[in-house]
Amino acid sequence: MKLECSKEKLVRAISKAEKITGKNLSLPVLSCVLLDANNGNLKISSTNLDLGIEINVPARVDEEGITAVSGSVLGSLLSSDFKSEKIKLETKNENLNVLSDSYSTIIKSQNSEDFPTIPRLKKDKVINIESKKLVKGLKSVWYSSSTSNIKPELSSILICSESNTIVFVATDSFRLAEMKIDFNLEDFEQILIPFKNIPEILRVFDDVDGDIKMYITENQIAFEYENIYLTSRVIDGIFPDYKQLLPKEFKTEITVLKEDLVNVLKVSNIFSDKFNKVSFSISPKDKKFEIRAVNSDVGENVNRVDAVLKGDDIEINFNQKYIMDCFQSITTDSLVLKFNGLNKPMVIKSVPDTQFTYLVMPMNK
Amino acid sequence: MYITTLEDNKKIWEKVLSDVEMSVSKANFNTWFKDTDIIKYENGTIYLSVPNEFVKNWLSEKYHKFILKSLRGIQENIRNVDYIVVSGAKKKELSMLKQSMSINNELPLNDFYINKDDNLNPKYIFDSFVVGTFNELAHAASQAIIKKQGIVYNPLFVYGNTGYGKTHLIQAIGNHLKTSDDKKVFYVTSEKFSVDCVNSIQQNKLNQFKEKYRKYDVLIMDDIQFISNKERSQEELFHLFNTLYDGNKQIIFSSDKHPSYIPGLADRLKSRFSQGMIVDVQAPDAESRMEILRNKSKMNNFYLAEDIINFIAISVQGNIRDLEGILNSVICQTQLKGRDLNMSEIKNLLKNNVKPKKNVSVKEVVKIIASFYNLEETTIYEKTRRKEVVKPRQVIMYILRKDFNVSYPSIGEKLGGRDHTTVIHSCKKIEDELKDNNLLEQELEQIRSMF
Repeated sequence: MKLECSKEKLVRAISKAEKITGKNLSLPVLSCVLLDANNGNLKISSTNLDLGIEINVPARVDEEGITAVSGSVLGSLLSSDFKSEKIKLETKNENLNVLSDSYSTIIKSQNSEDFPTIPRLKKDKVINIESKKLVKGLKSVWYSSSTSNIKPELSSILICSESNTIVFVATDSFRLAEMKIDFNLEDFEQILIPFKNIPEILRVFDDVDGDIKMYITENQIAFEYENIYLTSRVIDGIFPDYKQLLPKEFKTEITVLKEDLVNVLKVSNIFSDKFNKVSFSISPKDKKFEIRAVNSDVGENVNRVDAVLKGDDIEINFNQKYIMDCFQSITTDSLVLKFNGLNKPMVIKSVPDTQFTYLVMPMNK
Repeated sequence: MYITTLEDNKKIWEKVLSDVEMSVSKANFNTWFKDTDIIKYENGTIYLSVPNEFVKNWLSEKYHKFILKSLRGIQENIRNVDYIVVSGAKKKELSMLKQSMSINNELPLNDFYINKDDNLNPKYIFDSFVVGTFNELAHAASQAIIKKQGIVYNPLFVYGNTGYGKTHLIQAIGNHLKTSDDKKVFYVTSEKFSVDCVNSIQQNKLNQFKEKYRKYDVLIMDDIQFISNKERSQEELFHLFNTLYDGNKQIIFSSDKHPSYIPGLADRLKSRFSQGMIVDVQAPDAESRMEILRNKSKMNNFYLAEDIINFIAISVQGNIRDLEGILNSVICQTQLKGRDLNMSEIKNLLKNNVKPKKNVSVKEVVKIIASFYNLEETTIYEKTRRKEVVKPRQVIMYILRKDFNVSYPSIGEKLGGRDHTTVIHSCKKIEDELKDNNLLEQELEQIRSMF
């Protein structure tokens, strides 16, 4: 193999691919990126057997060939090179020579024969989605997924369609996040993507602007954008019927500025106990909304928040962390907190645009 | 067709694995052959389960020949190997599901028990279906369908009162065809069908609606009587029926009445429903009720003494759902008390659950039956022998004798001072006529349902 290509493009491709290499796996070749040069093109692939990626980089290929080298070594080398514009790659005696104007490096390569093939999916079910919408949807909910492996459908993100919106949902059974984004498309069946794969998917498509093609099959989903092809396992399961959890009526409703609430909860965090417990005390009669945190070792803090209140009085406890989590998904200035009495979930919604819904279960006394 | 047992499969695969282990590196072996297994062996093809698409690709590209060769070394007649992705999660044991206690309340997330793709409830299978004289015919028809679906008895129309096991039977057919024949089965209630139909008309998606229902191999529609008077849905059902029927796809309906007695149903549908096989499911007899009780208690891992089963089966005359209700309360009480219930406690329980047998006066019987035949009550007592009065009068005598156990002389006396031999003759006449007059049987059924 002998080729020359633009350093910038190579770095971008390698840094995306290198993150997906397998770590701590029994098969050493999985920690490698596969470089495959042919026909004016350098194909870079990597996989951890859960996700697989292929990125094509245009290159001047003098000699075709395949090799596999450690992804992290090649990635760190190239990302700390700020000078060169072009990079030459050449295989020599089982090794890869990386040459620029100012340096030459030899990286030990591994047997590329053992490198797995990245599954190519049938293209009969295609969904076109703007990258911004996909990234926004995944980002808004993925932190709510369950980190345990006990229920695979809870440690995944649900993507489904619903009357001209695409819906992203995640829950760990203590809280639930749902993001609805306007989107004209034909209905498709629900997809469950393992949440472990989401950070990598986000990283790959974060800086991309344009339409992404999604291909869906029974066991696998693939995303394709120009020269990037990313494929992930999907969970074969059925997401719980979460819709029945979303209450339609509420006994208490309060509207607050997001910033006010964030600041108060940050302070409460200092004084909350090891369960991160904060107590909400809401009284529309006395026009009072107080958040209180008590830790017998540290002290006690009571904060009053300006709010528009209506409905019944309520005293209720929450895990502060669960509430804080959802603020990253709320882009509006204000939000509504809705309650239905003790032991019923609190619903947080962004206003005025109501794309985002978040449910948190209260804590027992 | 040659099918090996699960144990054989396991042994075969172990042999193959030990072959493979010799010839590939340990790293490769661990990565690619972990979590693989033989699922089944059919028609010369071995189906291997693999954990993901990567492994599927890899095995079929790199090791296919090797695996095949190794398998042939064990069994010569293996022709092919196919790889199927089975998520590892499914295999995980349920015992792991016990979660640690948490201070936080959890959202009550219910798992869907019913399969969303076909709406079938996996609970309803033939293994748990009790066959007795009351449903023999329906069961036989369903078995015939399983053997030759779409050809014999199409459509199958099952009717009978609520709680006699119609839904269980038709879902069991669906579940059986789905699992053993890999057919695309779809179960829908007629109510859901018409809601679907109306929605798709509103959203201008009628074509999608048509397509959706036409792709199935077996369509099961429950409680078809609720489609009455819904003209648009009936029209769609009519077209759907024709398409499926012409394509030799099996169609199964259930209803609480014979199709001819469903009001507000288009004639063309009625005639189509009747063109296949119409079977009825009747009330279970005492032996069947006992069998059902045994079955259900076994499913609940609960032991019921024979005399208690006997007692419940005799005292609860109603439908299977009532039986289930009683059984549940017995189980619940037992768990509450922490010991088996004795007979008097069971009797006590039943007292609250059993509908008391109605005591109806002769006069009332006369009134109901007379009004059923559109007659003045008084004409029954008169000494007239007009044809339109004679038959209802005989029916009254028959019902009084059979259902209410009134003695022949007192029936005669109460119906205008007739001789007891007249009554005996009447009952016998109706009995004889019942043997070959279906219409009369239907009438009697309707009359009985009015008490």
